[in-house]
Amino acid sequence: MAPQALLSPLHQADGSATYSANGYSVIGAVNGPVEVSRRDELPEEAAIEVNVRPAAGVGGPRERHLESLIQSTLRHIILTRAHPRTLIQVTLQVTSLPEEESSVGDGSGFSFSSLPVLPPLLTTATLALLSASIPLSTTLSATLVAITAAGKIKCAPTAAELVRASAKVSSLHVFAFSVGRALLLAESEGDFEFGAWESACEVAEDACCKSVEGMEVDGEVENGQEFLRGVVEGKVGREMRWRTAA
Amino acid sequence: MTSAQTIVLPGDTIAPNALPTSANPNKPLTLGPGLRHIPPQTITTTIAGALSTDSKKNAAWIEYNSGRYTPSTSDLVIATVTNSVSEAYSCTLTPYTPTVTLPHLAFESATRKTRPQLANHALVYARVVSASRDTAPEITCIDPSTGKSEGLGPLKGGMVFPISMGMARRLLSGRKGGVNVLEGLSERLAFEVAVGRNGMLWVDGGNVRTTLAVGRAVQEVDTEALGDKGQSKVVDRVLRGL
Repeated sequence: MAPQALLSPLHQADGSATYSANGYSVIGAVNGPVEVSRRDELPEEAAIEVNVRPAAGVGGPRERHLESLIQSTLRHIILTRAHPRTLIQVTLQVTSLPEEESSVGDGSGFSFSSLPVLPPLLTTATLALLSASIPLSTTLSATLVAITAAGKIKCAPTAAELVRASAKVSSLHVFAFSVGRALLLAESEGDFEFGAWESACEVAEDACCKSVEGMEVDGEVENGQEFLRGVVEGKVGREMRWRTAA
Repeated sequence: MTSAQTIVLPGDTIAPNALPTSANPNKPLTLGPGLRHIPPQTITTTIAGALSTDSKKNAAWIEYNSGRYTPSTSDLVIATVTNSVSEAYSCTLTPYTPTVTLPHLAFESATRKTRPQLANHALVYARVVSASRDTAPEITCIDPSTGKSEGLGPLKGGMVFPISMGMARRLLSGRKGGVNVLEGLSERLAFEVAVGRNGMLWVDGGNVRTTLAVGRAVQEVDTEALGDKGQSKVVDRVLRGL
């Protein structure tokens, strides 16, 4: 199933986006730059606050962990110095999970990793920031990579694939890249060797970033950066249609 | 205006041939909102939108229509008074942002004795005098060179309609903005409007029916991003309904 995104579905927030891929749906809102509480104020840059809400129940340590990962990633792409002593608030609500993940935790003893939800959260945050016109130094695209015990690398595996092969998946990795192919986030879980990590990183880079010019192949799966561009083009086109409308 | 739009995302580098070329080589290139210069030669974008250029002014900027209003010098805004401190009113331009100051004497022919008494939540049409990221913005209701109000001042009666920032810019840019809905409505209706760059439209039509009709018509043009023909249709429908 192709990922789907919608920009600015919420009209009261400064920017918002919904994104769904691989069974995960996330709605995100960005408010900013707004007044910051004295305690969080930074003298020369904007403070960034990330709130992650799970699909069911209240957030726990897992959500706090995701928040800190997302916060430290966004801090590097937002031009925080453009709005000193303000707050940029990012709120991400997971609205639906793949069937496999929502049914675990019922005593079967298998606990689902927190990594598969990270790429959709990061993508939603990026889209919401674009929608809020917050100055960014680059855009971000993220993907999940699984390495099986047999050494096979699977990019963006679905939850069903992870559960079916749960005994065989030896490690999970999340990578986020900027437009300029700079690695912004690398989170790994499980047993793996450095060589495997490196090849996983290469696979993720190809999935996230535009292929080098001249090497484009028709019918290739749309990569992360192209997906973002398509979404934004749709939005700008809608906003500017009065120019061409009769 | 360029006919084919270049849509950019943050982090894109603007090719030198996409930038305007001025006839006068001494005229520096002006970078507007959404563009930043990384020395020595690179110009990149910081927000998503359509790249616009003006070769006469030798300027380039990114056209966008979303997000929160950030004050910049000489913008016309509709401010809401929140309280009065010793020598100035504190006003808000957008919710949850630090207040801006409006000095008590920044009104036409105001003196210490005769200054407008504004209650909390009163509306003021004002111009931004100074705005930088390191100081609190200041607004004024007089033209500093002439001391006249030039149409600025407290807004009495009427009603405020939220509009998008892009729509506010269209309304204020005159013919270039391509908005004719107000002219169309004014053929049969009498009303007053004030457009604030902070995404506010104040309308006073004398009675509630006219005020709502005008405000809603502009909001419809905004949300549907209507062109000339679409706007004429809205005008016809509104005038028939009254």
